Amino acid sequence: MIITDEQKTKLIKNNLVYMENIRVKFGRVVALDGVDFTVGYNEVVGLLGDNGAGKTTLIKALNGYNQISSGNIYFDGRHADFSSPKDARSAGIETAYQDLALVNIMSIARNFFMGRELRKGFAFFKFLDKRQMNKIASRSLKEVGLKNIRAMHETVNFLSGGERQAIAIGRANYFGAKLLILDEPTAALSVTETEWVLQLVKEAKEGGLSVILISHNAYEVYDVSDRFVVLQHGKTYANIKKEDTNPEELIEVIAGRLEK
Amino acid sequence: MENKRKLQTFFDRILRIKEIGSLSGLIVVMIIFTLLSDKFMTWDNFIGIFTTTSELGIIAVGVAMLMIAGEFDLSVGSVFAVAPMLGALLSNSGVPIFIAFLIGLVFAGSIGFLNGIIVMKAKITSFIATLGTMMLFRGLLLAVSGGFPIDFLGANTDFLNALGGKLFLGIRASGIWFIAATILFSVILNNTKFGNHAFAVGGNAGTAKAVGVNVFKVKMINFVICSVMAGLAGFTMFGRFHSIDPTAGMQLELEAIAAAVIGGTLLTGGYGSIVGAFMGAFLIGVLRSGLILAGAPSYWYQGFIGVFLVLSVILNTKIRKVVAG
Ligand SMILES: Nc1ncnc2c1ncn2[C@@H]1O[C@H](COP(=O)(O)OP(=O)(O)OP(=O)(O)O)[C@@H](O)[C@H]1O
Ligand SMILES: [Mg+2]
Repeated sequence: MIITDEQKTKLIKNNLVYMENIRVKFGRVVALDGVDFTVGYNEVVGLLGDNGAGKTTLIKALNGYNQISSGNIYFDGRHADFSSPKDARSAGIETAYQDLALVNIMSIARNFFMGRELRKGFAFFKFLDKRQMNKIASRSLKEVGLKNIRAMHETVNFLSGGERQAIAIGRANYFGAKLLILDEPTAALSVTETEWVLQLVKEAKEGGLSVILISHNAYEVYDVSDRFVVLQHGKTYANIKKEDTNPEELIEVIAGRLEK
Repeated sequence: MENKRKLQTFFDRILRIKEIGSLSGLIVVMIIFTLLSDKFMTWDNFIGIFTTTSELGIIAVGVAMLMIAGEFDLSVGSVFAVAPMLGALLSNSGVPIFIAFLIGLVFAGSIGFLNGIIVMKAKITSFIATLGTMMLFRGLLLAVSGGFPIDFLGANTDFLNALGGKLFLGIRASGIWFIAATILFSVILNNTKFGNHAFAVGGNAGTAKAVGVNVFKVKMINFVICSVMAGLAGFTMFGRFHSIDPTAGMQLELEAIAAAVIGGTLLTGGYGSIVGAFMGAFLIGVLRSGLILAGAPSYWYQGFIGVFLVLSVILNTKIRKVVAG
């Protein structure tokens, strides 16, 4: 699809995320081959695709974890080739990674604030404000419904899959993120915990955030998503509004048996 | 019911003290040696233990920092000798000893920097990289010195005494350095952002990177800290003998790692304690002295440390599973 400069300017302005023609290579493996991807303001996008389709790579390109070899990324109206996840975080992108979400052997509070520690003191004598961090982490996690809340010095090792996702979501709320990225948040969750996490996605949207929700499972994410993007072998295979499709059809699209 | 809960929280609290394993080990060992020999629990013996402990312990503090950040350093034993050797050579050729000391530490730091660069840029494990630099610098030491000790030739030994001389009641300066280093790095590790990042990169470097921690920088700094502390430890020994032997510090790297591990530091990184390393080093000193006083032949010492190392890791692992999963 060819678009004019004028259309492009408009797309950048009207979307929180605008990625065009993204290529990512790992050595000779081309993981993303010219992907276009957008996320609107206050929109929940279900990012679907089979194993190895490039979903994780796409969001890691967006948040600066992986460097792109070509293409353009705009975030919140500005050109944004984040050189590290740190830049992406300060711009307002909070990510719950599929495989790198938390440091298991560290405490809940330290994970919550990792990379953005609260400190008190002055000049060279700045020390971690552990009390404040414990307090805030505890409050934020209660807000996202972390039940049976334990002490904030408890290590993440003891948390369930859903509780881990809740940390990322609570973190996004507290630090005022504009975009929340959840990479297969429900992959290893029980039914109740899946419902809980999806409810949190709904609440995040109500709170004004945009969400990228990565999944294999069209049934699971159908309700909470506004739009679906399907990747296949590193290319955008489909981009469908919710009202134009249903879960059964999406499954066919993900499997590559149906083009939309 | 209420009492039981209280008791549980109490035990939980106790187990959460990262140094609990090494502390209880230390107490048990001290009790045994006190029963075995009436010369053990004396001030003189205690001070003797503390002196040798300090030189090992200053290294162990740096080694623990680096191990918590997820890396190894086998070259500390060589750096332990290289830094004071360089200092001795410089001061003997007319450089003021204080300046020679600083240059020695900077050189030690550069070895740490080199270790870090090799590990991080060539992406090989620190075990191999620092095994290489350990052998390289030991070879250099022997080549430069011809295998003979180098004596301090200067007239004024005040500075050397400040490094490793006797201060009061038989306590040596190295003991003060050891305590100061333990406090300093304990505070840095537990109460600063840098310390938090050290735990993070050791616990899971990928996650640390993902939340924006500069993994390269944090690891590099810890490599340098580790080496500088080894150099400092070497200087305290130089301050004690006013002489430095090119074979000094051999096998000290393994004892320093043992000290850190006995103190609860996880070999794979992400977990550990500086105060624990302090106690681990002290325990090794106690074992050495206690065995001699109990009349055991001196070569028993290594075997005992070996047994003790394994037992303490078993204990530490069990405790850690309960409190940290
Ligand atoms: N660091 C890497 N080095 C080399 N190849 C990689 C790397 N990361 C991803 N790939 C490759 O890129 C392709 C896309 O991987 P990606 O992880 O983005 O898929 P995904 O859609 O997230 O899959 P899944 O559903 O299994 O999480 C795969 O072929 C994968 O092997
Ligand atoms: Mg993935």
